[in-house]
Amino acid sequence: MTVLGERDDVTGPSGPAAVDITHLTKAFGGLTAVDDVTISVPERRIHGILGPNGAGKTTVLNMISGFITADSGTIEVFGHDVARMPPFKIARRGVARTYQNIRLFPGMTVLETVVAGAYLQRRSTILSALLLSPAERRERREVREQAAELLDRVGVRADHGTLAETLSYGDQRRVEIARALATNPRVLLLDEPTAGMNDAESEAVGRLLVELQASGLTLILIEHNMRLVEQFCESVTVMSSGAVLAQGAPTWCLEQDDVKEAYFGKRSDAARIATLRRARRGPSGS
Amino acid sequence: MSTTALLTTLQFAGVNALFALAIYASLRTGVLSLAPVFFGAVSAFTFGYTAGTVGLSVPLALVVGVGLGAAMGAVTAVLIIRLDSHYLAMATIAMVLIGRVLIINLVEYTGGPTGTLVPGDLGTWAWLIGSLVVACYVMSRLAGSRYGLAADAVREDPAVAQTLAISPRRIQFVGFVISGALGGAAGIFQASFLQYIGPDTFYTHLGFVTLAAVVLGGAFHWAGPVVGAIAFTLLPELLREPMGEYDRVVTGVLLVIIIIYMPRGLVDVRRLRLLRSRGRRRAVDDDATPTPTDRDTTPAQVTT
Repeated sequence: MTVLGERDDVTGPSGPAAVDITHLTKAFGGLTAVDDVTISVPERRIHGILGPNGAGKTTVLNMISGFITADSGTIEVFGHDVARMPPFKIARRGVARTYQNIRLFPGMTVLETVVAGAYLQRRSTILSALLLSPAERRERREVREQAAELLDRVGVRADHGTLAETLSYGDQRRVEIARALATNPRVLLLDEPTAGMNDAESEAVGRLLVELQASGLTLILIEHNMRLVEQFCESVTVMSSGAVLAQGAPTWCLEQDDVKEAYFGKRSDAARIATLRRARRGPSGS
Repeated sequence: MSTTALLTTLQFAGVNALFALAIYASLRTGVLSLAPVFFGAVSAFTFGYTAGTVGLSVPLALVVGVGLGAAMGAVTAVLIIRLDSHYLAMATIAMVLIGRVLIINLVEYTGGPTGTLVPGDLGTWAWLIGSLVVACYVMSRLAGSRYGLAADAVREDPAVAQTLAISPRRIQFVGFVISGALGGAAGIFQASFLQYIGPDTFYTHLGFVTLAAVVLGGAFHWAGPVVGAIAFTLLPELLREPMGEYDRVVTGVLLVIIIIYMPRGLVDVRRLRLLRSRGRRRAVDDDATPTPTDRDTTPAQVTT
């Protein structure tokens, strides 16, 4: 597919690429969900992926994290090709993620959920756990303290002993972010992190993103809240029907006709709909 | 029910609890496996052979048997862990069937269809309670450990667990090794109590009974299998006298009631946590002032 607009007058950092995707393609049966997508996200950038429903945004995220394997194309994370790696190896390369449909572990408390995310950082063996080794006990205490700090950082105010699945929608999303951060990632993929949140909560997530960026993370997020995107994303990729429509600074991308068309339909459609509405309203009088 | 009969039943309840813990060890990593019955058979016959025919000291034979159980667990895991869930379960059932064929045909070591005698030295309360305490200690220490939380994650959502850098195969492999050791120990104690084992001692019936004990006792905490095994070994025996031949009906009805009203078993940590969460929330609500979320909507409506 042709890339209709591409500009790099973005404000964010532009060092070496953290995530480098080239010619990524994935088809499900006859449907090409992702069609020759090329995205390069430099380190410490907040990059947004936008597009109407069914544009293939989540599929791209799923391929970066290894949930599904690409048909063709390459995905490099800090220079290492991860396109054919199982998800747990990609996670070890520093990629963490959250989910569009929240996926917390049933039965786990808020704190346990985040501690489970610290698997990679814990070093203790089964034997040390059985022998009550001081190191293992110290590690247990430390990961719990660290998890509590992360929960504070992402803004979960609920009691850490409650079941994660009983929290409010927004808090569940925040717990997911904390769990992802517990893996100590270098790249964080967020799939609609503010879905179901009010403006104040979304704003708080935006500030968290900037904070995380400052601490060295690269962030790629799928987001529908345009105000949030314009405020916090330094660059965006707009997708539609699996292909890239535009890439570059958010304000520039959102002004492009193709992007507007993908979101709101063709101008001619809009005119026709308006005429129809007027016609329908006409007889009843207004 | 006489005291002797009650004590014998309790001993079998203890052995079943060990078997149930063995099934739980792999179930908590998301793998439904009846392989512990096979591991138990291998270890029990090995114990009988090494302690009886070879003349190894009983504690050493126990260690050899348990070690062999763990090794069998490892081999099994390597061979079948790649299978999808229900095929994996079927493969472990097949192992139990194959085990019986092996026992019948390896006459030299197992006594074939007539079975073999086993030293009864381990058939004491001290050994049984000791081994149960050790098994429970191991399971409780694992619960909050690095491995334990990873196992819970793999069981609840293996895909998400992978994005936390957890390799499900590896966790399940470890689960199988623990399951093998526990199953081996259970088999040896079973054999030592019976003092005679044959091709039918470790067969599908034992697998299904202990699996039922795990599911009904609670498959989400190590105490569940223990409670389940004791309850469901003891119950039919206690009911036999007053109910006569209807004891099985009563047991069956009880099982159905538990499945309907306590789908996560008798020991259900999640339910307890849920109740506690609700209690806390109520306590918070009681002294709550108007929340900020209430204010978020009102000013906007006023200005328009």
